[in-house]
Amino acid sequence: MTIAESLLSVRNDLERKLREMLGIPVFLAELDAFALPCGCSGATINIRGLRVDDVDVFEEHILKFIDESAEKMEMDPFFVFARLIPGTAEIASLNIRMLCDSCYQEFGRIEGKQPRPDIYVLRTA
Amino acid sequence: MKLYVPHVGHMEGLRSLLEGSDDIYAVYMAGSPDYIGTGRTNLSAPSIEDIAEQVEYAHSKNVKLEIVLNSSCMGGQQLSPEGYRTISWYFDRLNEMEVDSVTVADPYLVEMLSRDYDIEVVVSVLSFVDSPQKAMFYEELGADTIVVDPVVNRDFQKLEAIKESVSCNLKLLVNEGCLYQCPFRYAHFNFFSHANGPGPKPNVLDDYYYYKCLSIRLRDPEQIIKSPWIRPEDLPHYLPITDTFKIGGRTHFINWILNTVNAYSNQHYDGNLLDLLDSIRDLREVFEIPNSELDGTIKQWENCSKNCKKCGYCKRLSEKVVRVIER
Repeated sequence: MTIAESLLSVRNDLERKLREMLGIPVFLAELDAFALPCGCSGATINIRGLRVDDVDVFEEHILKFIDESAEKMEMDPFFVFARLIPGTAEIASLNIRMLCDSCYQEFGRIEGKQPRPDIYVLRTA
Repeated sequence: MKLYVPHVGHMEGLRSLLEGSDDIYAVYMAGSPDYIGTGRTNLSAPSIEDIAEQVEYAHSKNVKLEIVLNSSCMGGQQLSPEGYRTISWYFDRLNEMEVDSVTVADPYLVEMLSRDYDIEVVVSVLSFVDSPQKAMFYEELGADTIVVDPVVNRDFQKLEAIKESVSCNLKLLVNEGCLYQCPFRYAHFNFFSHANGPGPKPNVLDDYYYYKCLSIRLRDPEQIIKSPWIRPEDLPHYLPITDTFKIGGRTHFINWILNTVNAYSNQHYDGNLLDLLDSIRDLREVFEIPNSELDGTIKQWENCSKNCKKCGYCKRLSEKVVRVIER
């Protein structure tokens, strides 16, 4: 399977699982794999219709789905977080990030679920 | 019937549009964001020369060209001496090149255009004309045409009252897919006006209003049904009010625009209603609403009480016709 085919399959699969669990037709607007200059890599799952309360209540299940998706993309989901629109309940994206040594020092020290107004941590490194 | 059709703003787009349909009465496009800007997302920044060339081409095809300068907020710059000079200079240029009409949202610009220029003055949807009184105010300011706020598209008593109150032309926007009584409407258009205006432009990472608009409908599809769109098949019901209809969608590709023009000019569409709506595109990736299954709904909306909780018609209808697209 090519990277593109894998991404398409993961997007559809994850969207279906989330919809079935939440009973809401959340929309995975875009799934991107990324590589950063620092050495970090991972995936950004741009999502609409998902709110903080959903993640709070279903965190364990969502993490399981993320882990299954990460495995299909051959990624290690060390650090998983949701990006919020600050001050609101709306989640803009779910993110899987495989940290480089430098960023590991920064993100590895994160404490609490919401170290910044725009970040909700599901799993720390 | 007169159809005002969105145009993305460049010559290539205009050629494709006018070669693709004979049912276009007029096209409208944004002007340069360097002067007034526009209250909606915009892709083009046509120069004076670009607009002049396109006016000439449109007229050669017997099609009118309208420039939309419907910023809903200019931060007061329009009232400053420098702002006045800049805007006057731009209006002078549009007048010289014989643009047929100019759409503005600010009442000040309505009066300024009507006093000093021989151009049809069109009051934008973003002036939110939703009552006879407001229509009369704008007519007094010099409006030649008012694009009525779609919030009253399903309030026929109000539409008729507006019609009876003014002698200027009325135009109805048929396919705006915005939330009915949207709480974000003013704030979102003001944001767009700054983002698509002379500046300073806000450095925005996430458009909160956009996210919220989509999120609300994903979680409550009834809101899609309650949006005051007008189906192509239902245009005849509006002819006693006006024969002039505006299609929204100036950020769409030409084939989308032409598909929508064909649907409204034929007064028929066999497909997903969301294909035609100028709304968040993501909605049609998620939902399907077979247009044919909405036949007859206009009879309910012609007598809509606007008491949604008590009535429940749109809720029941959405449960019946709005389907989630499975992949």
